Amino acid sequence: MTDAEIDYEVDAEDLTLAAPREIRDDAKPSLVVDDLHITYRVFGGKKLGTATQRKDSFVRKLLNQGRSHVGSVSEVKAVKGISFVARHGESIGIVGINGSGKSTLLRAVAGLIPPTKGSVYVAGEPSLLGVNAVLMGDLSGERNIMIGGLALGMTPQEVEASFDDIVDFSGIGNFVYLPMKAYSSGMAARLRFAISASAVPDILMIDEALATGDATFRNKSTERINKIREQAGTVFLVSHSLATVEAMCSRVLWVHQGELVADGPAKEVCAQYKAFVAKSRAKS
Amino acid sequence: MTVPTQRKAPAPAASATTGAVPAPVTPSLTSDQLRHLAETHGLKQMGVRPPLREYVRNLWARRQFTAVLARSKAYARNQTNYLGQLWSLLNPALNALTYVLIFGFILNTTKGVGNHIAFIVLGTFTFRFFDQSVAAGAKSISSNMNLVRSVHFPRAVLPTSSVMSELFTALPATIVMLAFAFGSGFLPDMDSIPITWQWLLLVPAMALLWLFNIGCAFFVARWVAITPDLNNVIPFVMRLLMYGSGVIWTISTHVTNEFWLKILDYQPVAVFLYLVRSCVMDDPTIPQSPARWVWGAIWAVSFIVVGFLLFWRGEERYGRD
Ligand SMILES: Nc1ncnc2c1ncn2[C@@H]1O[C@H](COP(=O)(O)OP(=O)(O)OP(=O)(O)O)[C@@H](O)[C@H]1O
Ligand SMILES: [Mg+2]
Repeated sequence: MTDAEIDYEVDAEDLTLAAPREIRDDAKPSLVVDDLHITYRVFGGKKLGTATQRKDSFVRKLLNQGRSHVGSVSEVKAVKGISFVARHGESIGIVGINGSGKSTLLRAVAGLIPPTKGSVYVAGEPSLLGVNAVLMGDLSGERNIMIGGLALGMTPQEVEASFDDIVDFSGIGNFVYLPMKAYSSGMAARLRFAISASAVPDILMIDEALATGDATFRNKSTERINKIREQAGTVFLVSHSLATVEAMCSRVLWVHQGELVADGPAKEVCAQYKAFVAKSRAKS
Repeated sequence: MTVPTQRKAPAPAASATTGAVPAPVTPSLTSDQLRHLAETHGLKQMGVRPPLREYVRNLWARRQFTAVLARSKAYARNQTNYLGQLWSLLNPALNALTYVLIFGFILNTTKGVGNHIAFIVLGTFTFRFFDQSVAAGAKSISSNMNLVRSVHFPRAVLPTSSVMSELFTALPATIVMLAFAFGSGFLPDMDSIPITWQWLLLVPAMALLWLFNIGCAFFVARWVAITPDLNNVIPFVMRLLMYGSGVIWTISTHVTNEFWLKILDYQPVAVFLYLVRSCVMDDPTIPQSPARWVWGAIWAVSFIVVGFLLFWRGEERYGRD
């Protein structure tokens, strides 16, 4: 599948929401990202750039052969100098092709990967909802709710008090007592979303976590996201579905090969991105 | 204060029609302005190591998280077996039986001890607690990658809860150990193991060993997270320690060199083995020794303090692959 075949699967009726509010530029900032660079260290595998066949001397070939088995460490520059400011109450979409660095950017903002260079400043505790929604696969959903809630800084009493809410919201019913590895991906995503949203995070980052949800869940989660924004939280949404991004976000960042290439109102940036996608589809 | 606006004018409409990737956005604020903006609004910097005081406070605030994580993991460990939680008793029992069979009956490695079955049982149970704690500490970050990659909390929670979960498995094992030791007293040729008030001293002895284990877990967790290769070395270090601590043999009757005797006797693992044995066994060769208690306390405190500092100094690097 090429990037061009990114879906537009969301039905317009699914998203009968008020258009996202515009945020004025003088609202208080909740996140400041300053010249962020992230470099991954990868063990194993060939050095990037040596994958193509080249005419090398026998000795060098032998050396390279050895290097890919012993002590091969390469670097991947995933984010290369991104700066932006996000404000309270804003919901920001992030678009870009596979491997452009969207997830990496969010992880750095959540404080989960230290920047190689540059800095990230946030107000309050950010919470990241990733593609892999399972916290502890061996444990029951019930345990995962407790662990997830405590990890987010709630007290056990608070988690217990919101337990029923979380289970209700996730809609997984009695499955909450089974180990999470027995869940479908959508069920896991629903539970994770319910846990993260219950703590009312200051910054909620959703990395394709809604993609596996069904229509009911998508409606519920959109409502919850709007509630978080009303409570002055900031929401980030990474999605390959431009319809979702346009419906839920007021502002969109387009990340391409680790760089920020567009930052502006959702409509405009999405139009630009669509044109780019259409063009690369025509090429392939 | 007026804050300059950040968002630039929309990119030229040309790229909306041509489909070319626009040039990277040039930030409208300089680094200094951005930092100033962040500071005036009280934002805190992410991905940097917090000061020690704050780190300790955050860790303390997550104590319930640590305990719940530990309990859940101790429980989950045996869940995939038919016999389930029974394995937390069977495992250490089989382990001790193996050593008792070889070293207690076939080879005679424990000269001078009145009840060598109890000697070996106590040794293997105690060492196993240490060994498993270090192994769990080494894996504590990589085995919780999902958690590390999705929530932000002081990473010292992970080694601590791993060792705590070993403690939860060690507690039922201790009952088995005491039952074995007591039972061995009824075998012919074995000194009896009376139940005395000294058995209560087992509680502080295990507590000190537990602290020591957490300290060791901090060391290995940091080393393995930064240089994964070290995980391959740990089993050999453990084996070295096992043979060098008199788990299955008596140090004093086999080592004649004064210098080595001192080192082997007072190195931390041997000290803890001695403490546990002196609490349970009523053997003239293993009397209660205040000096060893002091040594045990010194080892436990120094390992946990130094280990914690070392771990904290690497804090910002643990999420990275
Ligand atoms: N754990 C990792 N170790 C090494 N390199 C990584 C790792 N995760 C991502 N990368 C690299 O970083 C770059 C950006 O990856 P990232 O996951 O941020 O992309 P993405 O925009 O989220 O893509 P997708 O749309 O597929 O989710 C890619 O080149 C990828 O190879
Ligand atoms: Mg991604």
